[in-house]
Amino acid sequence: MNASDLQSLLFYALAILTALCAVGVVVTQNIVRAAAWLLFALGGTAGVFFMLGADFVGATQLIVYVGGTLVLVVFGVMLTAQGPFVNLRTSAAEWAVSLVVGLLLYAVLAVATLGGTWTKQERTPEQQVAMTDSADSNNSILIGHAFMGQKIGPNATGYLLPFEIVSVHLLVVLIGAAYLARAKRRRGVANVDR
Amino acid sequence: MLIADIGLPPVGLNHYLLLGALLFVCGVLCMATKRNGIGVLMGVELVLNGANVNFVALASYNPAFQLEGQIFALFVIVLAAAEAAVALAIVLNFYNNHATVDVDTAEELKG
Amino acid sequence: MSSLFDFSNHPGLYFVWATLLPLASFAFLLVASGVRAYVRRYQEADGPVTPPRWPAYVATGAIAGAFVLSLVGAIHFLGDHASGHGPEAHAADDKHDNHDKEAEKGHEEHADRWAGHLTWASVTPGSPGEMGRSLTLGYHIDHLNVVMFLMVTFIATLIHVFSMGYMADELQPMVEDHQVHDDHGHFRRRGRFGRFFLFLSLFCFSMLNLILADNLFQIFLSWELVGICSFLLIGFYYERRSASTAANKAFITNRVGDAGFILGLLICWTYFGTLNFEDIFKQVRAPAADAHGKSLALAGHIVRGNDLPADDGDAKFRIAQADGASVLLFPVEGHVHAADLAPFKKDGTTPNEVTLARDRGRDEFGNMPYWVLVVAGLGIFLGCVGKSAQFPLHVWLPDAMEGPTPVSALIHAATMVAAGVYLVGRCYPLFTPDVLLVIAYTGGITLFVAATIALVMTDIKKVLAYSTVSQLGYMMLALGVGGWVAGLFHLVTHAFFKALLFLGSGSVIYGCHHEQEMTKMGGLYPKMKITALTMLAGVLAIAGIPFFSGWYSKDAILAQALGYVMVNRQHALLFVLPLLTAGITTFYMFRMWFMTFTGDPRDAHVHEHAHESPPLMTVPLVVLAVFSVAVAWGWPVWDAEKSHLEGNIHHAQPAAVLAEFGLTADEPIGVGEVGRERHLAHEYHSLAGLMATGLVALAIVFASAVYWKRFRVLDPAETKENFPAAHAFLANKWYFDELYSALLVRPALVVAGWMRGFDTHVIDGAVNGLGRVGVLVSRLDGLIDARIVDGLVNVIADAFYALGGRLRGVQTGYLRSYILFLALAAVGVFLVVAYFVSRAAAGP
Repeated sequence: MNASDLQSLLFYALAILTALCAVGVVVTQNIVRAAAWLLFALGGTAGVFFMLGADFVGATQLIVYVGGTLVLVVFGVMLTAQGPFVNLRTSAAEWAVSLVVGLLLYAVLAVATLGGTWTKQERTPEQQVAMTDSADSNNSILIGHAFMGQKIGPNATGYLLPFEIVSVHLLVVLIGAAYLARAKRRRGVANVDR
Repeated sequence: MLIADIGLPPVGLNHYLLLGALLFVCGVLCMATKRNGIGVLMGVELVLNGANVNFVALASYNPAFQLEGQIFALFVIVLAAAEAAVALAIVLNFYNNHATVDVDTAEELKG
Repeated sequence: MSSLFDFSNHPGLYFVWATLLPLASFAFLLVASGVRAYVRRYQEADGPVTPPRWPAYVATGAIAGAFVLSLVGAIHFLGDHASGHGPEAHAADDKHDNHDKEAEKGHEEHADRWAGHLTWASVTPGSPGEMGRSLTLGYHIDHLNVVMFLMVTFIATLIHVFSMGYMADELQPMVEDHQVHDDHGHFRRRGRFGRFFLFLSLFCFSMLNLILADNLFQIFLSWELVGICSFLLIGFYYERRSASTAANKAFITNRVGDAGFILGLLICWTYFGTLNFEDIFKQVRAPAADAHGKSLALAGHIVRGNDLPADDGDAKFRIAQADGASVLLFPVEGHVHAADLAPFKKDGTTPNEVTLARDRGRDEFGNMPYWVLVVAGLGIFLGCVGKSAQFPLHVWLPDAMEGPTPVSALIHAATMVAAGVYLVGRCYPLFTPDVLLVIAYTGGITLFVAATIALVMTDIKKVLAYSTVSQLGYMMLALGVGGWVAGLFHLVTHAFFKALLFLGSGSVIYGCHHEQEMTKMGGLYPKMKITALTMLAGVLAIAGIPFFSGWYSKDAILAQALGYVMVNRQHALLFVLPLLTAGITTFYMFRMWFMTFTGDPRDAHVHEHAHESPPLMTVPLVVLAVFSVAVAWGWPVWDAEKSHLEGNIHHAQPAAVLAEFGLTADEPIGVGEVGRERHLAHEYHSLAGLMATGLVALAIVFASAVYWKRFRVLDPAETKENFPAAHAFLANKWYFDELYSALLVRPALVVAGWMRGFDTHVIDGAVNGLGRVGVLVSRLDGLIDARIVDGLVNVIADAFYALGGRLRGVQTGYLRSYILFLALAAVGVFLVVAYFVSRAAAGP
């Protein structure tokens, strides 16, 4: 079994898993189940990232997405999933329309993807110099350097400023989310207390 | 090896892109069909994942932007987390005020 | 007027200062009252403020000072006159053929001493020879002024003193007016003590200025000033409706007269070029002597004639004395030739002619239409009719009794109403015989009508008011029939006893707590003896009992009237009316006195509270009583023609009087048959006096029979019932007010209604029509604007609105449908872009 075949096998398995899970998210009417399907879909995506050699991204996908975001979603589901809201059904007509639109969209995207010719670009020698190690080896170090402001190429810049902005953004979002979702004291209850 | 003889077609960039497109379309459909607010949020996550797949795939197939694609994917992931937090807070707030998570009831801005 | 203090060279200034003193008092009180009104705001925070007493002292001091100055001036004047500087001495010199330069000089000097003026406004500067038109303020003192000054200042002083007592009510911080009601019962107001004396001072100044004046303009100013004072004082209690109405009535009635006055003034200004008395009279009346000192046959006459058409050169004037349509105006300066002025030339057949200058200078002849001169005289007389309350403008004076009683005494009995008589006397040379006849008849009608009304009046002040009107009628009548001296003589004596009577009635009213109805009085003699006795003196004086002042003057009037009637038999009424009225006067005056002071009290309440007035009020009464008795005395007392006062007034008599009504006894009778009245008056003096005295005695007896308890023969109430129509006719004052209401007021209102109708329908209609047209045009414009312009805009807006309404449906509000649209749009955009890209790729 050559590496290429193994890669293909892995890819198809992962792709099918991910696609099925994604379809499951769409199809299921139960929100709890949808969350479970999503979990697997995201995990599958992480696997795709690994296959593409983006180890750090895949790891981050697993940690942040599957471990953080999805937990958040699950908490939301748990907080709101009471009897009637677990299964909110959509009418068949809507389904039909959505399906048509979805297929149309997919067709367009597929045509665009398959109709294009993708040529593999080679790195210029200077770029190659910057990339001291080979591309398919572990590039986490490079990413870390880039985030710390190291220039990747002669025309490129480091990513320190976006990194900082995103950090502050996260902080603000967390405070804002906490503020928005905080437990509100109901006026009527307060009156009774008094 | 048995497996080696399966004769699977080799995996190219197109495959990854088609997967990303599928994820994207699934996300859109999810947003379009789910009446539950959190379901809509899940759709958004799927859309973002589809986009991420494209970023990373294109990055790995074009060494000129290998790092940039991954860094963008990272930013997307982080921002998706932030988005999820805010969206969930909004959904909870909506639930507090309307005692439901059905987005169809949020139609005050109807023309 | 070189200096206002040069008394030794210009003793006339004494009178000027006597006039200015009350003005100073007025100005001072005015400023002081302004200051007080300002300060009082702060004082009243601590409660009501009592009005101060000192304004009375200031005003009284001023008028008393004016009296003293007048007295000093009078002594100087009489002294001057006695030493031969007087104008009469000059006239006597003129009679001699040899013209005496010394007398001329003396005359000039005299004129300079006793007259002066300053030019106030000059209309035409002109050369000295021309008739300069200028308005002057000046004074000219003769015997009449002097007597009037003494009379006015003396009576005014006494009335000021009396007022201090009478107006004491006004010294309270808040005065309650029992005749005015408001929401809280009786009306309450601040005391007006100071204001009363402020007005009195202004009045005194105006009145003295009127007497002082040497020109019509100054007199007119003062005339209006006394009118406004009268208005202010009649309306002193202006919260009372009757008082304010009476004030308006007095003022408006006087306006009628003043319209005539102004007309006369304008005519004088136009034709004589001056308003100065001397200058006017010099032009109207022929001079006494010609250039050679020869007496003129026409001396003192108005010379009438006809204008001859001016063919070439100067116009001519042909003298035709009796029926000329034009009047010759004499030069103000220089002398005339006797030959020019004789009715005929020396041959006795050809009428004489005088050359008239085109641009008349001061030493040239002029002319004016005779009827204009008549109109001027009638106009000025109309002013006097209004002021002196003569028929038909007499209606205001009885109503004027709404003012405080001292005011009635001073203004509406003694001084202001006499101003009309005074002015007639002053302007005498201006009046043609026709005007004089009108004056005589006006006086005759007035005196009779007023006396009959006075017979039935029950308000004590109304009786006196009608009595005043009646007595003023006597004066007018006297002036009209040539009794210039008699009329003005009566003016002075009447001022004293009428002031006395009014003050007496004031004392009675004060003692009876402001009760004026005689029907509530009676039997007051024991309670107020001084008032009763002094009033009796006044009653006897007005009745004309021998040796009282009224006797002298009234006899003089009756004698003059008799003399006139003897010559002009067709005017017999002019003697019969005053004679009868003498009896009527006596009757109603005694009726008043008896009703007030004798008999049983008719109202126990009034009688019980009646009391004698304080000395501040009784002392003026006593003083006035003494003067009422003795002011006209001369030596011998029993000779009615030897009154000293009359003699003094006689000195001021203008030559015109003699010219119109004949000469005095010691001078030859003048031209033809006219002008024997004076002579006859002298002849029949005792006859007229006897007739009058007899009638008076009869009236006294009759009055006693009716009103004195002891002789009660006739019951007045019964009489009243027997002649109800006559009584109603008299009690309603001959229905004059009703007549005027029907003849003047109502037509005026009707015409005003028409005018209003014209105004509202025609003028307003036209204006409204125009307005309506404007509105129509605007509406059309608005229509274009609304339909076409706005329509266009609205169509566009409506189109967009409809579009918006349609597109609205797109915004479903459903999140999920938005997503679907988004996806569709993405597909659409993709396809479009793909199409263009493929074309671009296929293109080259």
